[in-house]
Amino acid sequence: MVRFILRRLVLLVPVLIGLTLLLFVVARLLPGDPVGLAAGPNASAETIAQLREQFGFDQSIPLQYWTYLTGLVQGDWGTSVFTRRPVFADILEFLPATLELVFAALFLAIVIGIPLGLLGAVYRNRFPDYTTRILALGGIAMPRFFLGLLLQMAFAAWLGWLPLSGRYPFIEIPPETVTGFYTIDALIAGDWYAFQVAFAHLALPAIAMALSPLATIMRMMRASTIEVLQQDYVMTERALGLSSRLILFKYVLKNAMTSTLTVIGLYVSWLLGGTVLVETVFDWPGLGLYATQAILTQDFMPVIGVTLVIAIIYLLTMLVVDLLYGVFNPKVRYA
Amino acid sequence: MLKMNKRQFLLGSAGTAFAVTMPWAVDAQGRPILVLASNVDIPNFDPHIATGYAPQWLFRNTYDALVRVVNNPPETQPGLAKSWTVSDDGLTYVFELNEAAKFHDGNPVMAKDVEYSFARLLRLKQGPAWMVTGILDGESVKATGERTVTMTLKKPFAPLLSVLPWMFVVNSAEVDANKGSDDGQAYLLANIAGSGAFTLGRARPGDLYELIRTEDDWHQGGNLQGAIWKIVREQATTRLMLQRGQVHIALEMFAEDMEAVKDLPGIVRIMEPDYRSFSIKMNTAKGPLADKNLRKAISYAYDYQSMLEAAGPAKLMSGPLPEGMFGHAPDLQVYRQDMDKAREFLAKSDYKDGGITLSAVHAAGYENQRRWCLILLESLKALNIELDIRPSVWPDIVAMAKSPDTMPDFFSIFQSANYADPDNTAFAGYHSSRNGQWQNPVYKNPDVDKLIEDARAEVDQTKRAELYKTFQEAVIEDAPDIFGVLELRKFAMRDTVQNYTFCPVAANTFEIWPLSLA
Repeated sequence: MVRFILRRLVLLVPVLIGLTLLLFVVARLLPGDPVGLAAGPNASAETIAQLREQFGFDQSIPLQYWTYLTGLVQGDWGTSVFTRRPVFADILEFLPATLELVFAALFLAIVIGIPLGLLGAVYRNRFPDYTTRILALGGIAMPRFFLGLLLQMAFAAWLGWLPLSGRYPFIEIPPETVTGFYTIDALIAGDWYAFQVAFAHLALPAIAMALSPLATIMRMMRASTIEVLQQDYVMTERALGLSSRLILFKYVLKNAMTSTLTVIGLYVSWLLGGTVLVETVFDWPGLGLYATQAILTQDFMPVIGVTLVIAIIYLLTMLVVDLLYGVFNPKVRYA
Repeated sequence: MLKMNKRQFLLGSAGTAFAVTMPWAVDAQGRPILVLASNVDIPNFDPHIATGYAPQWLFRNTYDALVRVVNNPPETQPGLAKSWTVSDDGLTYVFELNEAAKFHDGNPVMAKDVEYSFARLLRLKQGPAWMVTGILDGESVKATGERTVTMTLKKPFAPLLSVLPWMFVVNSAEVDANKGSDDGQAYLLANIAGSGAFTLGRARPGDLYELIRTEDDWHQGGNLQGAIWKIVREQATTRLMLQRGQVHIALEMFAEDMEAVKDLPGIVRIMEPDYRSFSIKMNTAKGPLADKNLRKAISYAYDYQSMLEAAGPAKLMSGPLPEGMFGHAPDLQVYRQDMDKAREFLAKSDYKDGGITLSAVHAAGYENQRRWCLILLESLKALNIELDIRPSVWPDIVAMAKSPDTMPDFFSIFQSANYADPDNTAFAGYHSSRNGQWQNPVYKNPDVDKLIEDARAEVDQTKRAELYKTFQEAVIEDAPDIFGVLELRKFAMRDTVQNYTFCPVAANTFEIWPLSLA
């Protein structure tokens, strides 16, 4: 098992090098003039040339790539041409906010999606199944930003139960940074009030993000549970007089989880790459907005950096998913 | 059948109760902390590097310049300098610094700090340095006394006092102590070394920036103890926050937002003309539009009235300079829709039957720019000219401006005034030394160049105004642009904000220290 993990981790390296190469070349070959743009409308040709040199744009693309790659392993992910800020520091600043949102959304999707999927399977073609089916259709069809706006209208503007936007009240000091997740940092600090506030701010964007994966997980879970429920061994267990609860949770759930697990894994990267609209609606200071700003100004170092981070998280998630297959199905356990 | 046991029921109920009793956002109103909503971030705090309106707002409130610009029409008022004299030839300026002025570390602002700041700005050649290119160099600004600064210009430059409000003075001892290998750029990127009314509190990129009033502030005015620049990206959210009093001033409001808050209690709308103009530039150097008669024909064919109607609250431009600015001549013969004249000039051009297709580019996502291009398409149909409209992202538009070959036939841009002087618009928009830049990609006329150069060097205001009048007539005769609209600057603020006065130059980066909250 340890060897398997190590092998997978080593294999990450060539994948990531290939990815940086691809991104770097594409970024450099695109039309546009990021340095001219960053220098401002009134910059002289001399100033632009000076900036070009400062950022290494005057060198050949292979040399630029080599400089980038050697910097990368030393923690220097380049500098934004537009803001002059180091990309790595910026990513560390914005990533926790996005991860907190993504994990919260995924957590909601799993803890609600799986039981509802089971419910739909157990009560197949009956009232609970119809209800969850409608929820699933709505969840998949409704765009996240629109749901976000609706939630804001209902829970913030009309009912006043939850905050409108942001990650924390802007006239208050958030808990001291340990993980960068405000909810967890508040718990670490033992600050119950801060936890409540951070949780309240997280609730609406997390629900807006969760609905689509929730619907998919629910439908996936329902389908695979129905399939497993029709297996011979389930009938045998029923004939032996085991309780429905025992059959469902001990035998069926495990076998039905494998395909749902794959979907969950895929959703991690889908959510990470798709936070921008929810971040915009809820003013969530995360990676999506950072990347969008960089894309619009053709500021490539942040774009490459963000893509790299998403790729790393995706690859690590898939590794965890592969390991979890073994937990649910001993046949695919890695020796 | 699945049943819920007592423990599951209690857990579920507790969760629901917990979710419902969450505290909601704290109201900012009622405290002397001003909250401004903007969708623009402030990623770099170096006043000699960063450009853009959000950083400029930060600098105006955390740093000081020798002089300030306030009021409508804009006027120069003392800043760090309490008084100044100008030599008759307009080449030497002597500034006397205010003894009360002190940096955030308590040290007084001295002439050596001013000298250091200008030397650094001109060495780095970024930020606002372009405004004094060819006018000042590294040796031009000298401390000639403890609190006396002498500025020796390389040639007369009438707008000097208009550009000085954007050149901020840093604490030389502090920057020098953190100079590093990059002239203090890494330090000032994230630190403030100024003498402004506020220091920086929390800085959370992409989220908010907090300013805290300095203890024993030497600026006299206003009751604000602090301010928060809150980044809000969604217009609907901004409106709701304003309505709920969580935000005092919303800086980026569209016409429809202004309409939506019109009758809301406690909200004041500010709609004033400022110096931000929209025009459609033509490729005067290559292609069919190099033909002046064709440009004139198009200038007469354009439906200006529809443009104005599509713009929302706005005014039509009457020539190259914004109305209200010094030097703008009110009696210019500007183009308005006149199809007879349009056909007359078309007949004089090389394309008397039309039959050509021209290209137009506008910034993607700007609905008004798209509408104005569609109006151009309609107007050109009358001349039997087709138009190919393409939206493009801003970096690509900047790249297109580089040469006549890459520039489309029509190129639509907004141009803001960086300082309260016609030289800004005239030089950036029409001087041939700016060719290749998006504000003036290709237009070139040696006579116009000479007029701009003479006007910026002329110290006598009457003669200057005369030169700008001639300049405007010459540009209108050349018809390099379809002169478009001046959109009104639109803010909304709570009625608790007091002492606010509008200034049409850099209207959205105003000083907040004179303001009070009721």
